[in-house]
Amino acid sequence: MKFSVAENWVEAPLKQFVDEARVQLAVLLHPSGQVLGQFGFARSVDVMTACALSAAIHASAGELGRLVEGKPFTGLHYAGKARQLFLAQVPIAAGSLVLLAVFDDESSLGVVQLFFREFCAAMRAAAPASAASPPALAGDFERELNRNLAVMFGRA
Amino acid sequence: MTSAFGTVLTSLIRHRGVTGCMVVGEQDGIIVDSSLQIGVNGTAFAALTASLYRRARRSAAAAGFGETGFFELDAEHGRVCAAGRNDLVLVVVAGERVNVGLVRVEMLKALEVLS
Repeated sequence: MKFSVAENWVEAPLKQFVDEARVQLAVLLHPSGQVLGQFGFARSVDVMTACALSAAIHASAGELGRLVEGKPFTGLHYAGKARQLFLAQVPIAAGSLVLLAVFDDESSLGVVQLFFREFCAAMRAAAPASAASPPALAGDFERELNRNLAVMFGRA
Repeated sequence: MTSAFGTVLTSLIRHRGVTGCMVVGEQDGIIVDSSLQIGVNGTAFAALTASLYRRARRSAAAAGFGETGFFELDAEHGRVCAAGRNDLVLVVVAGERVNVGLVRVEMLKALEVLS
């Protein structure tokens, strides 16, 4: 399976999460939609799509949470017939990131949640102070996204 | 405890050496109801034991052994026991002093509640 990262510091925690939680697909991204690392995707266009949709779902869930509970929802689980999706916020010192994980019956929600907690702790320890502050500036967004995808899929 | 499993869990946790017991969803590994002593990491036990139990069931089925009745993990300083029915797994976490035979009988009787 293809594993690639745009930032070196996310590699060890993400790899450990993928190995232990036995997920089929995983994408780590900024809330803006910028990809930081991925596992399981073969094409950059799929990663780009997954990031855009994940960022949108995360933003919608956050706003919905603010309306309902006065604070953003930080995690989401969807159980399909054969595959399940887990989307959650990864808090780090400089802000937060988003993790999308897709798994089948080789894993379970409980196992994914368990190792997600360990992943968050590992990310907090590994993250540099400026890790979550980057892009989201409209002018730079596409260039940054393409740069990250090129680094991950070997066209840098 | 107010769920249908309260009586079963209360009865199991009273056994000498038992430090936690839980009713867990077999497919998702999430706790439905539990009775745990302080310091027992219920969510971790639940997720990992449900996963082990599910795999044990699949292994038994693949080997042609039929349904898995009772699952026991014997470790250096304790035991984890599991028995399931209807997509639910009853999990008991115990120390070295536990009377496994007694707990096993109690767990198998308790399976009726999961039906």
